[in-house]
Amino acid sequence: MTIKIRFFARFRELLGTDILLAWTEGTILGSVVREVAKNNQEGYDAIFDAGGSFREFVILIRNGTRIETAEAEKTLVGDGDEIAVFPPVAGG
Amino acid sequence: MLSERELDRYRRQILLFGEEGQEKLKKSEIFIAGAGGLGCPISIYLAVAGIGTITVVDKDVVDQSNLNRQILHHDRDIGKKKTTSAREKLTEINPDIRVTVINTTIDETNVLGMAGSADGIVDAMDNFPTRYLLNEAAVKKGIPLFHGAIRGLYGQATTIIPGRTACLRCIFPNPPPKEVFPVVGVTPGLIGMVQANEVLKYLLGTGKLLENRLFLWDGLGAFTEEVCVERNPGCKTCGSIQKEGNKGDY
Repeated sequence: MTIKIRFFARFRELLGTDILLAWTEGTILGSVVREVAKNNQEGYDAIFDAGGSFREFVILIRNGTRIETAEAEKTLVGDGDEIAVFPPVAGG
Repeated sequence: MLSERELDRYRRQILLFGEEGQEKLKKSEIFIAGAGGLGCPISIYLAVAGIGTITVVDKDVVDQSNLNRQILHHDRDIGKKKTTSAREKLTEINPDIRVTVINTTIDETNVLGMAGSADGIVDAMDNFPTRYLLNEAAVKKGIPLFHGAIRGLYGQATTIIPGRTACLRCIFPNPPPKEVFPVVGVTPGLIGMVQANEVLKYLLGTGKLLENRLFLWDGLGAFTEEVCVERNPGCKTCGSIQKEGNKGDY
């Protein structure tokens, strides 16, 4: 009865990765990422804006499938789900 | 037809691809957008592999601060156009290929004219607005786009086959904020090699491409990851294209 949150790149530096959380019925994807991100203010600010919404460039993947950030607050997480959260990079 | 010198030059890779494969590379034209951190290693390795025509586009001149990663440009090139520096080195590296350079800023008025006839477009840019232009050109012309991007010790790469895979806009509908990004040369070196490897496989029709797969590199932890991506039916760049079956040409 767990879910796993995987952060990548800069998010991983700030928040760690492969974080296991207890799963309960009705767990919402956005809420669970927010809860974990609150452990580090810089990490939280990297993912969420001042209003608490996901920054629009953040990529969310649940079990290999992309979830739009706009959908994250109404997307349910299932037992055993793996959620990846990462920032695209832009340099070259 | 390969010359005696070419047969000798490419002997060790002809063991892999055969003369037929080498001929395919010789007949190919690859458009490389950018002669910076990614563009330098990509163009070097595509040149030595024997891609027949390489076109490199860049608008900048070589600056001292480029030299930690832009390995085509040397200290003596500071102040020189990157395209001039790139042409000189690539021609020295392999005189048996054709190197064309264009010293300009890629914009919506010129992108199709420059890249529209290539067999592949390599994204070696440093910003998303220009990447989106390359993506639109690739989708419009049905040309594969080999994406790569880096920051610090992190990087990403994927191969976009219009009509068959997610396009760049499907994967990254919104760009990360603009910044002066930190970088050490090994990161674009590594991601550039992933892109160049994809170009060769595509042209040769061999192996498994990074289609609908986003390759992620974490150099700090020495982790590679891969996430699946998929087409967005509502994508404003490729949403109107019908999904094609596997053509079998790759």
